[in-house]
Formats: sequence, structure tokens, C-alpha cells
Amino acid sequence: MGFLAPWFLGGLAALGVPVFVHLLRRHVTTPRPVGSLMFFERGTQSSTRHRRLKHLLLFSLRFALLLMVVLAFANPFVRRTASGANKRLLLIVLDHSFSMRAGTRFTDAKQQALALLAAKPNSQKAQIMALGGKLEVLTQQIADEAQLRAALESIQPGDGNGNFGDLGRGIQTLGDAVHGPIDLHLFSDMQRTAMPANFADMVLPASMTLVLHPAAKGAAPVNWTVESVNAPAELSDPKDPKRSRVQAVVAGFNTPAAAKVVSLVVNGKTIATRKVNVPANGRATVEFAPLEAGYGFNRCEVRIESGDAFPADDASVFAVRRSDPERVLFVHAAGDQRSAVYFGAALNAAAQASFVLQSVAAEETTDLDPAKYAFVVLSDAVVLPSIFEHTLQQYVTKGGSVLIALGTSAAHHARIPLWGGDVKGTHEYARADNAATIGQVDFTHPALEQAQPGSDNGGWSETKIFYAAIVVAGQARVAARLSDGTPLLLDKEVGEGRVLLFASGLENLTNDLPLHPVFVAFVDRTARYLSGSEQLSGSRLVDSFVQLRAATEPLGAVANVEVIDPDGRRPLSLSEARTAQTLRLERAGFYQIRFANGRDAVIGVNPDRRESDLEPMAEDVQQLWSGSSGGGTTATAASTEVEVKYRSISLWWWVMLLALALVAAESALASGYMGTQREEI
Amino acid sequence: MQRFLDPAVLAGISSLDLLAKTVVDGFVAGLHRSPDFGFSQEFAEYRAYAPGDDLRHVDWNLYARTERCYLKRYRGETNSQLTVLLDASNSMQYTSGPSSKMDYARFIAASLFYLAIRNQRDAAGLIVFDEEVREYVNPSTRQGQLVRLFAALERAEPHARTDFAKPLRHFQELLHRRGIAIVISDFYQDPASIVRAIEPLRFHGNEVVLFHILDPQEIRPALKGSSLLVDLETDEKIEVVPDYARTIYAAKVDAHIEQLRSLARGAGMDYQLLVTDQPLDTALREYLSLRQAGN
Repeated sequence: MGFLAPWFLGGLAALGVPVFVHLLRRHVTTPRPVGSLMFFERGTQSSTRHRRLKHLLLFSLRFALLLMVVLAFANPFVRRTASGANKRLLLIVLDHSFSMRAGTRFTDAKQQALALLAAKPNSQKAQIMALGGKLEVLTQQIADEAQLRAALESIQPGDGNGNFGDLGRGIQTLGDAVHGPIDLHLFSDMQRTAMPANFADMVLPASMTLVLHPAAKGAAPVNWTVESVNAPAELSDPKDPKRSRVQAVVAGFNTPAAAKVVSLVVNGKTIATRKVNVPANGRATVEFAPLEAGYGFNRCEVRIESGDAFPADDASVFAVRRSDPERVLFVHAAGDQRSAVYFGAALNAAAQASFVLQSVAAEETTDLDPAKYAFVVLSDAVVLPSIFEHTLQQYVTKGGSVLIALGTSAAHHARIPLWGGDVKGTHEYARADNAATIGQVDFTHPALEQAQPGSDNGGWSETKIFYAAIVVAGQARVAARLSDGTPLLLDKEVGEGRVLLFASGLENLTNDLPLHPVFVAFVDRTARYLSGSEQLSGSRLVDSFVQLRAATEPLGAVANVEVIDPDGRRPLSLSEARTAQTLRLERAGFYQIRFANGRDAVIGVNPDRRESDLEPMAEDVQQLWSGSSGGGTTATAASTEVEVKYRSISLWWWVMLLALALVAAESALASGYMGTQREEI
Repeated sequence: MQRFLDPAVLAGISSLDLLAKTVVDGFVAGLHRSPDFGFSQEFAEYRAYAPGDDLRHVDWNLYARTERCYLKRYRGETNSQLTVLLDASNSMQYTSGPSSKMDYARFIAASLFYLAIRNQRDAAGLIVFDEEVREYVNPSTRQGQLVRLFAALERAEPHARTDFAKPLRHFQELLHRRGIAIVISDFYQDPASIVRAIEPLRFHGNEVVLFHILDPQEIRPALKGSSLLVDLETDEKIEVVPDYARTIYAAKVDAHIEQLRSLARGAGMDYQLLVTDQPLDTALREYLSLRQAGN
């Protein structure tokens, strides 16, 4: 409510007139003659009080009348939302991604959002969402301001990587569910790196009006960060110059050329310091070698002394697990000596693996306990002693891993130990004088992982397969296929463990894979994948997932997992600890995990370094985005002004009507008093 | 006929002559119907002759039969003298109804004069006073006396203040013969001083009657709110609250009336409170009873 002509409120001074007339001035009445005053006594005070009471209603009417007249001149008005505004859904999205920790961005954005919520008409429905690593819906579409405010205030700065593509897709879904116009207010630093690759992902439905509230002011601030760290997750020999080293990339965003001091901190202790010259807006690599780490898990951190406006990204954490080299049990057929040679050579050549291969014939495995090995390789060993096979079965069920390679023996024995399936047949391409090639490789599989495979199919295209067993994939994941579609590499979970099946041999008779460089990488990744060492230490990005237990139904008793987050809390409830298969790493820092298979891990989690580039989207891009929404609204400046459409309704007419009614009432009442006075005379 | 004695009716009659006739005729007619009260030139009693008695009153027929000398006495045998002392101070003009206290006093005086002169053949006189004697009509039964009295009553407009002490000195000089002296006033003075001032009239053998004229509002004032009251005699103003008028004032007035009544009776005077909304017969009846008692 307000007044269109507030200076007329000075007329409120006239309210003193009825106060004076009724309360302050001594009342004078027409004298009433009497024969004699000899029996009367003066009673002034009580008379005044009595008269006050008597004329209280008249006084009130006159007071109200003057008040109404003054208010009518001051022209009061009330603000009402424009027609239909209450039917619009107010959708408030607050960005709490990692970059919002820079300066006062998050605080400012939150204050603006709270101000917008406070200005919301009571009857208008609103919904609160938080945009971090994912789009979180915090409330339903409700009008309860207290609940909405509580939800908004509960949002805290996160470590996730915000992406406007996620926002666009989430809002698209919401727009399909909500039948009506939506006002979307986005409070964000409008980071350029949060834009998706395809602008179409950001486009909002036609019924939606997008209002942007940029939290970042001015140009992007200077920011240095540790962009990436390359360090061994497993370390068996600290003095090994190939493995025991840490390489870190220091990057500057919107920065001048500067010399930066970079430190390596292990378990809270700075063990090495390097000075590096970082070019303007460029990157520089710094290396720490050797990595002095004690046995067990080492919590490591590479830190720069930047002194910029965003100190939260000045460090990158990772965990290094130092242990003695693990043994690998290589079980081969009695007549097969080559496969152990090729596999062992590849295993030793691998840079980061720390394994010792123990080769043994299948017949000699009776007394062996697979639990003492990182993983087991069955190279063409389709016939195993029943005791060992049973032990191996239990080993896999409890979390062990086995690589099975099907050599020529598979053609004679259809049954595949541990696999749960039979060999349906064999392809002997060599006889047809037409060796098969590997046509399809799943480079996302950990054993075949390549970030950017080359045009030669990541080095696999030159490989020739002369012999391959035919195995029905069933529920197993096919990681690689031959050019004729025959599955070559299959991955299957058994209990808590894993069985990897290579449908050909590991020697150079059934294929020429051991002769190609890709074989070393394959053995290296397979060894790390099967040993699980990759999962037990190292570093991850915020919002990545860690598999806590096998996806298949547990065969025996359910084992609990334990997770302790960087804040020392347990993010999983008891029921979740018994059932959760994966864990989303939401916070930056060190997570301590005990998996369902009983193995412990310490994982360093870092925010996505795209968040360190604080450069906002260009103005025209912002305008294009907000203009692409249905309402065609304009982007707002970074201010707490809230663009809610209101219209002013003047109350002048109603106040005057009330004043007229008061005039009538006052006249009637006053004339009544006057009549009484005449009667007294 | 009672309604002709109602002050509200009498207020509509402008002529005092007609008013007095209306009142007295109505009053007398009412008396005839009463078996307990009567008056005429009728036999009352025999009394033994005493030396010095007027021989004209001896019943010679009785003497002839019994040789005893008795005087025959009749009621109303002798003429009385009525003197009305009318207070014409300012306080007498107060009114809350159709007639003021002064009007009411005039009605009473006129009615008494008419009754005395026309019906009783008594001499009647008038003294109008406030703080001085303003008008004096010598008691007489002469022709035209009634007219003179009425004219004097017409001229008696309220004026000045009441003071019994000063005019009463003159009253004693003016009242030579014994008779009935009726003082008509609102008696707004200390009862002791009033009685002390009027008491000397009694020493001349006069029957003295105090007709205390008060307005109903003066006995029980009904104030609707606190009011500014003005004294009609002194022009003094005070503000009074209804609670006071309803409680303390009423008690004071009652005490004043009672004190005046007891002091008057103690001094051998009759006292009659006349409220201006009451009929006039009370006053006339009082006069006649006094006249009878005096004979």
C-alpha cells in the first residue's frame, strides 16, 4: 500500500482539532437558570470526564472523518499483481555449483532469490530448485512462503559442475507436466563453461518466461587453479622413476603471466615445492618425483599459492595406495607355455601396474588359494581340479576376479568353468584362410578404455583373430566383437566378483594380438580392472559414481558397505548401506569407503575444473537464451529488484465513500446532542 | 371540576379575575359535596354572657324563656382580614413547565383574594416584596378592592433578590389588625433567618401561613448531563454534575424543606409546600381551615 500524493498527509495535523475540542477544551454548555444555587456545588472535573465519555462516539466519528478526508487527498493505493499473475508458477532456480563459491556470488544470488520470494503474492504458487551437479527439485508447487523460504535457505554452496543443459532438460520435463505459464528466475553466475555443447538443450518451452539474475558482476576475476594431477593410484616402489612421480598442470584463467609456487602435500605434510612460470591465460606442468609415500593410503594434495578471488580451486587432491606388488595367478593348460610368457611380459611392461605373475598348470592348482591373488587368469584352462574350481567359485562370489581365455581346448570341452555357459562352437578362421578382425570395441569398458581412440579402432583394427570360441553373451556385457559379430570380450558379474571372458587365446597361435602394442595396454587395464586397484585409490571428479557392490543379487549374506564423506559423516543410512549399489561423490575431499567385497578405499574427489573458468556467458548469449523462452523477457541486471508485474489500485473513491458515510453518521449523532441541549434550555 | 384547579389549565387563562372565579367556583362546588366540611352563617353554639359582650348577640328569645342571658354564636360571624405577602424576587420566575413559580403564586393569591372578598366578605390586602416592599394594597372590603388587588398582582414582576429581614420591618407597620398573613415565597434563605424574620407577625395575633412555592425541578432536578447553572438572583454560574443533583442536592432540599417546616411549626406558623404542578385547592383549603380555626 502507498500514497500517490503523500504530501497531503501533512493534513493529519488537523486531527488535533477534534482532540482539542473533545478532550482538551473544557466543554461549555448553554447556561441553565435555576432559582438558587444555595444547594449546588461545583463539579468541574468529573463533569469533564463524564462529557468525554458521553461524546466519545462523536469524537471517534469526527476523528475518523478527518482522517478519511486527509487520506482521500493523499490518494492511497494498493499494489495488486497484474491479472493472471497469480496463476503463473514462479520457478526459482538457484545455482550452487562450485564456481558460486567465488567471492560473494552465492550469498548475493541467495539474497536476490529470497527477495524475489518475499515479493511473491501470497496466493501465487512457487517451486524451488537447486542447480549443481544435477537439477534438484526441493519443493513441490506450493504457495506456502515459509516452506519455500526454508527450502531456499537450505541450499548451500556445492562442489558440483552446473550445466544449463541439465537445467533445460529438467525444465522441459516440468513444462510438460505443468499446464500453465511459468516464470523461471535463474540465479547464477552464468558461467560460460556451464553451457552445453548444443544450445538447443538450453531452450525452454514456449510457455516459460526466463528471467536471468547474474550473480557475477563485471569482468571475470583472475583465477589460477590446479587443473589436473597425474599420479599413480597404486605405488609399490617409491624409487621407481617411471611410476613414482606426480605431474600437475597449473592453469590460469584471465590471468597475466606469473610465477607460481606449487606444493605437494602428503598426509598434511608438504614434501616438495616447485616454482613454475605460468604464461598469461595458459598452462604449465610441474612434476614431483619421487613420490615419497608410506604404506597404506596416502592423502595427497597439489596446492598452488595463488592469492586469487577463488581460493577453493587452488588444490587438487588424490589418494595413493602404497603396497607390495600383488600376485597374479596364471593358470594355463598343461601344454600351453606361450600365453604365460606373453601375458607376463605385457604385465611387466605396463607402467602403472604392480603385479607379479605366478604361472601354474591347471593340474597343479589343487592346493592353491585364489584369495591370495589380485586376480586369476585361466588361459585355455577349461578343465580344472574340482577342488580348485569350487574354491575359485567361492573366490569370485566373494569379490574375486577371473580372466578366462578360451584357446583351442575349448573346442574339446564345451563347458566353461565359472562362466555358467557353454561353448556353442568355434570359428576357425585360419582354416578358411580368412582371419577375422576386431570390428567393434567398447572403449568405455575399463579393460579397453581409451579416451580418444584413433582411426585404427584404437589399435585393434590390425589385430587378426584366427580362432575364436562361440559363446552366447546372455546377460554378459560384450566389450568387443569380431567383424562377423562374434563376441570376443565379455564381462559378467558373478556374486560380488567379476569374470572377464576372452573368446580367443592369449598366445600368438589363435590370434596375433600379443604381437601388437595394444596388447600391453589391454593387459595393463585388464589387470587394474580385475584387481580393483583402480577403484581403491586415486582421484575422481565430483558427481562421479563409485560402484559399491555388484549389480546382481547377492548369493550369500548381505554385506554392508561403509562410506565416510570428506566431512566425516556417513552419507548412507543403514538400509542404504545394505542395498546401495553405487555412491555419488557429491563433495570435494577424501572419501573413505569399504566395499561390499570387504576392500577398503580412499578416494580423492575434486570439483570439475571447468568450474574454475569464471568467465560468464556473453551478454548477447544471455539475451538470446532469455529471448528464446516463450515470454520473450529480457535479462535483468544483477540487482535485488524483482520484476513482478503489479498494478496500482487507487482507493480514493472508497475512502471518500467512507468519509461521506462518516459525515452522515456524525451529523445524525451531533444533531442528537444539540437537540438535548435545546431541551435543557 | 378538579381540572379547573390544575395549574396547567390555569396557565391558559390570561385574566386573573376569570382565573380566580374559575378556581374558587370550582373549589366551592366541590366543597358542597363534602359532608365533613362546611361553612355558612349558621348557628354554632351558645355562650354565657359576660360583661362587656355586645348585647346585639344576646339570644333574647332564650332569655325570655329561661331568663338566662346567652350569647348566640354563628360561624363566620366575623369578617377576617387576609394579607398576602408575595415574594417577587428573581428566583420566583424559574419554571420548568407551563407556569413559573411567580405565575403559580399569582394564581394562589388571586384565588385567595376572590375567595376572601366574594365568598367570605373578608378584607384582603397585598404586600409585594423582594428585598424591599414594592407594592402595598391596604386590606379592605371596599368596592373595587378585588380589581386593585388583581392589578397589583399583574404588576408584580420578579425583580431583584429576596431578603426577608428588610421588608419585614415594614410588614409590622402595615399590618394593624389581626388576621391571616400568608407569605408566598420560594424561601431560598436560611430557614432560621426566615422564621426569625417572619415570626414577629405572629405577635400581633396574626395567623401566619408560609406557602413554600417550588418547581418540581427544584426538588428533584433532572440533569441529562453536567450543566452550567446560573443563579437567577445573583447571576453566579457553576457547573454541576447529574450525580450530585440526583443525590446530595436532593438531600439538601429535603432537609431545607423539613427544617423550614419544623421551625415554622415551632414558631406557631403553618407551613405548606406547594409544588407548581399540583392543583391550587391545597392552598385554598389551608386558608379556609385557618379562617375557621381563627373564629
